[in-house]
Order: sequence, then C-alpha cells, then structure tokens
Amino acid sequence: MVFVWLTAFFLVVALIVLVIYQLMCLADLEFDYINPFDSSSRINKVVMPEFVLQALLSVLFLLSGHWAMFLLSFPLVYYNYTLYQRRQHLVDVTEIFNQLGREKKRRLFKIVSLIVLLFLSLFWMIWSVLSEEDE
Amino acid sequence: MQPPLGNERPPPPGRPVSAFVPGAAVPPPPFAAGGPFARPPQSGATAPAFGAAPPAAMGGFRGPPPSQGGPFGAGPPPQGPFTTSAPPSQGPFASAPPSQGLFASAPPSQGPFATAPPSQSPFTSPPPSQVPFAAGPPPTGPFAATPAPFRPPPSSLAQPQSPTGGALPPPPTYARPTQGYYTGAPPANPQFPMSRPAFQQPVQTMPPPPMGPAATFGNQAAYAGPPVGGTLQSLVEDFQSLALSSAPGSLDPGVDVKGLPRPLDGDEEPVKLMEAYPLNCHPRYFRLTTHVIPASQSLVSRWHLPLGAVVHPLAESPDGEEVPVINFGSAGVIRCRRCRTYINPYATFADSGRKWRCNLCTLLNDVPGEYFCALDASGRRYDIDQRPELSKGTVEFVAPTEYMVRPPMPPSYFFLIDVSVSAVRSGLLQVVAKTIKSCLDELPGFPRTQIGFLTFDSTLHFHNFKSSLSQPQMMVVADLDDVFLPLPDDLLVNLVDSRHVVESFLDSLPNMFHDNVNVESALGPALKAAFMVMSQIGGKLLVFQSTLPSLGIGRLRLRGDDVRAYGTDKEHTLRVPEDPFYKQMAAEFTKNQIAVDIFSFSEKYSDIASLGSLAKYTGGQVYHYPSFQAPTHGDKLKLELNRDLTRETAWESVMRIRCGKGVRFTTYHGHFMLRSTDLLALPAVDSDKAFAMQLSLEETLMTTQTVYFQVALLYTSSSGERRIRVHTAAAPVVTDLSEMYCQADTGAIVSLLGRIAVENSLSDKLDSVRQQLQLKLVRSLKEYRNLYVVQHRIGGRLIFPESLRFLPLYILAICKSLALRGGYADVSLDERCAAGFSMMILPVNRLLNFIYPSLYRVDEVLTMEPNKIDASLKRLPLTFQCLDTGGLYLLDDGFTFLVWLGRMLPPELVNNILGLSLANFPDLSKIQLRESDNELSRNFMKILRTLREKDPSYHQLCRVVRQGEQPREGYLLLSNLVEDQMAGTSSYVDWILQIHRQTQS
Repeated sequence: MVFVWLTAFFLVVALIVLVIYQLMCLADLEFDYINPFDSSSRINKVVMPEFVLQALLSVLFLLSGHWAMFLLSFPLVYYNYTLYQRRQHLVDVTEIFNQLGREKKRRLFKIVSLIVLLFLSLFWMIWSVLSEEDE
Repeated sequence: MQPPLGNERPPPPGRPVSAFVPGAAVPPPPFAAGGPFARPPQSGATAPAFGAAPPAAMGGFRGPPPSQGGPFGAGPPPQGPFTTSAPPSQGPFASAPPSQGLFASAPPSQGPFATAPPSQSPFTSPPPSQVPFAAGPPPTGPFAATPAPFRPPPSSLAQPQSPTGGALPPPPTYARPTQGYYTGAPPANPQFPMSRPAFQQPVQTMPPPPMGPAATFGNQAAYAGPPVGGTLQSLVEDFQSLALSSAPGSLDPGVDVKGLPRPLDGDEEPVKLMEAYPLNCHPRYFRLTTHVIPASQSLVSRWHLPLGAVVHPLAESPDGEEVPVINFGSAGVIRCRRCRTYINPYATFADSGRKWRCNLCTLLNDVPGEYFCALDASGRRYDIDQRPELSKGTVEFVAPTEYMVRPPMPPSYFFLIDVSVSAVRSGLLQVVAKTIKSCLDELPGFPRTQIGFLTFDSTLHFHNFKSSLSQPQMMVVADLDDVFLPLPDDLLVNLVDSRHVVESFLDSLPNMFHDNVNVESALGPALKAAFMVMSQIGGKLLVFQSTLPSLGIGRLRLRGDDVRAYGTDKEHTLRVPEDPFYKQMAAEFTKNQIAVDIFSFSEKYSDIASLGSLAKYTGGQVYHYPSFQAPTHGDKLKLELNRDLTRETAWESVMRIRCGKGVRFTTYHGHFMLRSTDLLALPAVDSDKAFAMQLSLEETLMTTQTVYFQVALLYTSSSGERRIRVHTAAAPVVTDLSEMYCQADTGAIVSLLGRIAVENSLSDKLDSVRQQLQLKLVRSLKEYRNLYVVQHRIGGRLIFPESLRFLPLYILAICKSLALRGGYADVSLDERCAAGFSMMILPVNRLLNFIYPSLYRVDEVLTMEPNKIDASLKRLPLTFQCLDTGGLYLLDDGFTFLVWLGRMLPPELVNNILGLSLANFPDLSKIQLRESDNELSRNFMKILRTLREKDPSYHQLCRVVRQGEQPREGYLLLSNLVEDQMAGTSSYVDWILQIHRQTQS
C-alpha cells in the first residue's frame, strides 16, 4: 500500500513540475523574455506527457481501489480528454497572445487541484506507513 | 461681425419646419421656446424675427442678469409657464455665455409669432447686429470654471470661428459652439412657439411634412444644460435627433425615409483635428475611434463602442506631402532612454537645449552633442524649421546598423503555381505568366530582386534558373511525405543575372502544362518546399491555387457544403482553419520573414478559411476569383497581380505602438503576427494594409492631460535601406462622456467594429455576431440618450451625436456585408471568408465603400461633355426606390462594378454601351465591356476609368445585370442594397425604429 501512495506522490509531483514549467513559459512570454515560437514549442512538448501522467495517476488510483482519490483525479483526466477531442490541448502559436489569459487560468486551476491531490496522497502515504508500523 | 452660426443657413422664412404630433404636445423643456434664446441674427433680414416673439413665451427664460449689460438682461421678468423650471439663478441659460449662440433658435416669421406686436419684444432696442455679442461673458461663466480638458501643449484650441471674437476665453472643447438648438413645436400652439431647426446638411433641404409625423433630422443642437450639483461642467454638446413618433392609428412609421442620414460623401477624415493638433500625423495614418482619451475606467465602461485606433502606416500620401526622410548620422536615432520613444514634435527641450523631455514617459534625456542646438526665449530650438522630426507628425528615420539583425534583405518573390487541370483549362496559366513577365521590369529593388518559381500538381516541379543555362531545367519531386530540394541553390535567383532564363520559363509555362490532366493538388508539400527555398532570405510567396489541396500534408476536406452546421454551435468551425498545419506553416513563414499572398481561383469549394490563415499571420492578402475564366476575370487578375508585384513594399518589418502612461493597446486586429505583447511582426507590408487595435486604461484615473501615441514601423525598403517610419499623435484626456461622443470618428469605429465582428464570427454564430453589433450600437445610443433625457423632452425621437449620425446605417451595412450577412444560402462559404479576410486589412475609406457601396446613375451623365461628367456623378442612397426603370446605374464596392440596366432603358443606349442588343437575350454574365466607337461608350468607359483610378489597390470587375434577371440581380445587386429589406433583415427605417425602441427601454 505504501508503494502505491509513493508512486502516486511522485506522479503528482511530476505533474506539478510539468504544469509549473508551462506556466513559466507563458509568464516569460508575457514579459517578453522569449518569443512565441519558442514558448509554444516548449509548452507543446510537455503537454502530451502531462496528459499521460495524469491518466496513469487515475488508473493507479482506480486499480488500487482508492475510489475517493480516483473521483478526485478523474475530472482532470476528463477535462484533458475533452481538450484533446476539440484539438485545443496544444497552444496555438499564432493566437498565443490572445489566449494567454485563458491558457494561464487553465493551468492555474490544474495546479490548484494537483496541490490538493499532492497533500491528500502525502497524507495517505504517511497514514499507510503509520498503520503498517502498527500492524 | 461674423455670424456665429456660420455653419447654418438662415431659416427660410415663413415655412413651418417641423410639427409635433398632437400627442407630443406636452410642455416642452425650457429651452424649447424659441423666443428668449434668440438665435443670433445672421443678417438684418432675420433679426426682426426676434421682434415677433411674444413676451409670454419668453417669460421664463431669463437671460444673463442685467448687470452684465447684455440685451438679454432686458427680457421680461420671469413669469409664465416656465418660471419654475428655470429659476434665474440656475436657469440653464443663465449659466451659459449668451455669446456662444447656444440657444440659437429663431422663430419663424410667420406662425404663432406673427401676431405678436414687435414693440413688445425686448430685443428690438439693440441693433440686431450686436445682439449676440453685446452680452459680455460673465466673468465666472461656465467656461471659466470648466476645467479645460483639451490642452494640447503647443497649440491652443482657440477657434477662429468662435463667435466670441476673443471676448471669451476659448471654449474648452472643440465642439462647435455655434449650433442652434432645435426642437419642434406644433405651429398651432402659440404657447410653445416653434423654434427653427438649423438646417445644415444636404438632407435637411427637404421640408418635413407640415402635419403629422415629422422627421427633421440633422439639427445640430447645442445647448447648455443646468449646472449639475453646483459645479459648472462642460455643458456644450451638439446632438442630432430624428423624430420617430407616428400619428396614433397610422401605419406610417413616422420616419421620413429621405431624411435619414446617409454617408453619400464617403469617409469623413477627421482633418479638423489637424487644426487643433497641427503637430499630429495626418489622420490617414492614425485615427482614434474617438479623439479623446477618457480619464477614468468608469467613463470607459460608459463608452460602449470600441476604444482604439486604426493605423495605416504606409498610407499613400498625396503629392507634395511626401514623408521627410531624416538621417541622424553619427548622433544615432534619438530616442528616449527608458521607453524608447523616438524624438517627435511634442518633445520639449530643457536646460538650454542640452536635455530633452520625453513626452510619453516624461524622462529627461541628454541631447547628443551632434544634435545640440540652442533654445530661443520661448524654449524652442532655433533649428526647428530645418528639422522635420521636430515639426511634423510623420517622419522617416534612416536606421543605422543597430537596427539590423542581418544585412537588409533583397526583395524576393517566389511563385507557387498550381498547374492542375482546372488551372490549365481556365486559362489561368497564360494570364499569370504574361502578367509576371510584364512586371519583371517594374519589380521593386532593382538590381537586387530575387525571383523563383515552383509548380505543382500531384508532384512538385522545381525549376533551375541558373544564369549559365539557356533554358530552365525542371526537376520533378514525387516524394510528398519527405520533401527535399533537388539542388541547393539556383531555385531563387537574382532576376538581373537570370533574366533570360526566367523569361523563357514564363514564355513556355502555359505550353509546358497545356495537356496536363492531373486533378490533384499537393499544396502542403509545395508550401514546405517553398519554405525551404525561401527560409534563408524571406520575401513574398505568391500562391496560385485553383483546387482544393488534396495530397500530402495539409490536405483538406470538402466541408463547405455542410448545411446542417449552420445555425448550430458548430457553425463557426467552418470558418476557421481545419488543419493546424496551415497555422503552423504561417508561424514558420513569419519567423523567416516570408509573407504569403493567396490567389484562389476555384469554381468549387477551396477552403479559403484554411488557406487564408497563411496570409492572415504573415501580413499577406487573400485574392479570391470564384470560377475564374481568363476572358472574364483575366483583366482583374492581371491588374491586381500587377499591383501586388509593383507596389512599394516594406520588407521584414515590425511595428510597435507606444502610448503615454495610463493607456495600453491590448488587442490587435489585422493581418500580422504578434511577436510579443505589443510587437507586430509584418514580413511584408504595403500601402494597402491597415491595422486596428483596441485600447484599455491601465489606471483607474488618468493623471495626465494629454496622451501621446507613437506608431513606429521598422522596415527594410526595397532599395535595401533600413528605415523607421514614425507617426506621432496627441489626444486630450477628458472627464466628460459627451466630449467622447463629440470627437467620435465614425469611420474608425466602423472599421474596428467590422474587424471585431469578423473575428467574432470565427468563434461564434453569425446571428449572435450581428446581435452583438446591434447591442453595442443600442447601448451607446442609450448612454448618449441618458445624457440628455433629463433636460430634454425627447420622447419621440432618436437622438445621436452629430459625429455618429451614420453609425446606425454603417452597422446595419456591416451586418449585411458579404462576410456577415444571412446564413448558409446567402453567400458561399469561400466568398464569405474571402470578404472577411479583406475586411481585416482594408483601410477605413475602402472599408466604408465596401460595406456601403457607391451607387451612381449613369445614363443621365453620359451625354454630357466628358470633362463635366465627374462633377455630375452623384452618389445615391442604396435602396431600390432610387432605381428608375429607365435608368442605367453603376454600383461600385471597390471590388466589383455592377452595371444595372433598367427595364425601360432605351435600347440604343444599351447597344452603344454593350455593343449588343438586349432583345436577343444574351448571356450577360459573360459579357465584357469594351470601348466602342461612339460617344456614350467612350464616356462610360471614362467613368469606369476615373472610378478605378481613385482606388488602385483592386481592379473592379465589371458585371452587367438586367432588371428582373433573376437570380443574378438578386445576389449581385439587391443584396447590396443595404437599406432595403431582404430576407430576414430589416430595412433602414425598420432598423432605426428598432434601435429607437431599444434605446428607450
């Protein structure tokens, strides 16, 4: 059980890093430190890995039978899926400045929900470690 | 004495000008009575009108107190019905300087006043010619207390036409203070004497009906309202009104159709601003939607129209006004250290000329030693007359090497020509090859010009133009998945060196492919190949596409005939690029300084929405020739391609607009790509492209009095020089909404609104885009109405500022424009998208002519002397009622000429002009107008030529349609008559009534 929580914890950390990286690229773009071509190619490179990790995390929760955590993480997967369906998952270099606000907001929401997941999995990890020691 | 109402005509005597419907005859507001606010006489002839005013009617209107010595002081003491509404101390008119002529309104010499004995008039004693000026302004008049929001630094706004003749401080606005206020009153009611509308515009020349609903419009009314809250605000405003009340029980909507405002003079450039701000750049380069900047966020939120600007950086200047070119030499281009503003006429010099203060960020900069010049007593440099950058709003600097990331590129043209079967059959290849060949001498940038060709169908054909060859070599690449260049160079060659090879290629091009039966088109791989060829240099890529791209990457589906999508949430997806390939390609092109112009010729759907995005993000242009046939469309293609190739083009350019503290440009609309938040990357830009942008306030309250704007376009000229074109403009900050309306620029507003609407149509349904437009109009007129509704009884009328009198019609015209009209069946998807792309780049005047085309009656002027013809061509309102069955009409929207032949047109006239007889029922869609040997035909072609010369950016294709020839008449002409009711759209009258109802609710 500890192993599951440990994996989940690292997955969430990796997701947070990826999303923060995207946010940094957007912020750099806004302050004119990089040009839109580089910014969007950097972001687009990590979008698919992020989606895959997110899906893995949900599957992990599902298979390990943590229904509550699965329900918490599933909406993000579903949201990613709809973005992918609508082909909006990649940032559009030609319109990136018009979409800057929206893209940033999207990722901020993601990061907030990921941080919630992070704390929960941390909590469950410690809980399971303690309960295993008790046994 | 200058008549203060200089822009009015004296009212024609004895004609009742307007009438209220009976239901509307409630006591008018104080100023409605004509008497006391006597219109300053323009001549002795009108002066006696004052004498006719019955004292009872003027009772309540107290002029300035007698202590001011004015003749108004001699008015009878307050009495009568208006006493309470206008207490002497706070009366609306007591507070305004009478010499402003604000209360101008003259009673008619007949009617209710005719019976009043002249001896009772208080105005009889002073000589009429002194009436308006005898009353000196009260020292603490409203204008003294008004914070003068318009304070351009170098120039005063003092108006030469100010009626005060210098006795007053200049009015704080450049609102014309000299308009008469007009309101109507029933002639039969002596209690409410009718005042006289100030006839001014051509449309006012028709007298309204004496009875019943009156539509009198165009009355510039200036009046001063009562001081609000004890503070004397700037109260001068002019507005116009349109009476819309119908008689009870009548079906007549109560609108005089002929009296509605119509922009028959085309665009009105706000050139008056140049008098107020002589140091500004000309409005042809830079126009704000309202030439003032609101001082607070709350004011912005009450201004419901877009706040922004239209920039046309390379607009063609008329002869004699060429842009001066300045080379600073060793001093370098003089710019502010902090905000990088270029030196401009509004910069001030300090410290005896050793420092200059940046007008945008107020930083004190050092003046380089080479640029130093002493100041005279008033702080001006002695050399100001020799330095255009200190006296002109538009200048061009020669940029030194710091402004180059690489040596200036040579102008280069690469042609990507689809040679599939449809291009061959339509005769496209001949026209293109011939035109390019004829332009070779005129291509800009001799002797550095580069040129190259790539043809494609299901394979790519590269052409080697090595100068040592005598004939071009063709290399075919069939691998579309992994495109490679068959040879490293000699695909894009110097024109001078390889001229003979290029010419022999162009001669043989039509024959090379004349038996080609390939129907496929591999545009995507061809674009990639062109990118590889051009990526080192950049330049212009001209794509001639005659079918839907069907092979390789970037192939497109037939999706334009998807009827079901219309009216649903998916409708807009048809108008955006389907394949992300095109946007990615466009981004790559921009990065490498390549501009793409799309020429599309397909008779079937060719997905302009996807192809056009290549042009959209590279500063290019979309030309659409649906069902191209060389005999009919050949001339149009020839001349437009010729224009595209030979016009002066600015290469590898970037544009930035700086503005003073507190404001910021947020969104940009046009064909460009944003390189950073405020930097527009334009691989190529020319005189046919304008850009629009929206402003927002960064601070809730503006602290400065003037905001400066500076448009800077850094580019490489065709001659290989790096240049910076700088336009500087200043606009005052105001605290009053009415000032914003007063200075509004309809052309710029319409241009910006049109672009926003087209962009919205890419993410929304057409229907809701039109509703948004209407909502904006309604909200702004409602806000404007609220400014006046308290003081005026304006129940039955639609009021609008004089500056926006054409806005309702233009917005109606945008809604009915090719890009936004109707639904699925009204316009083909390709045409709609092409029109949308055009609307995104058109300069203001051409956009206005595109959405509200010019209609002329031609048959009457054809028989005149040739030199009188131009003067006698009059634009007509765009309504079917203007079309006489016995007439020949010409509709010009800047892209097409439409010749409409009335049913009763004399056959010999048709014979002479068309060279054939209508009696044989010829197919008019294939007809080409040629000059034949008779006077009428010569004159007719001369008219066409003159109109074409006015706007060389497009060549108008001439189409002929006969009255009643359906369905061509329907979609060619009737759908362009924007004032008429069409399926599902309202007519101009209905539109006005609709707007009016909504502004009231």
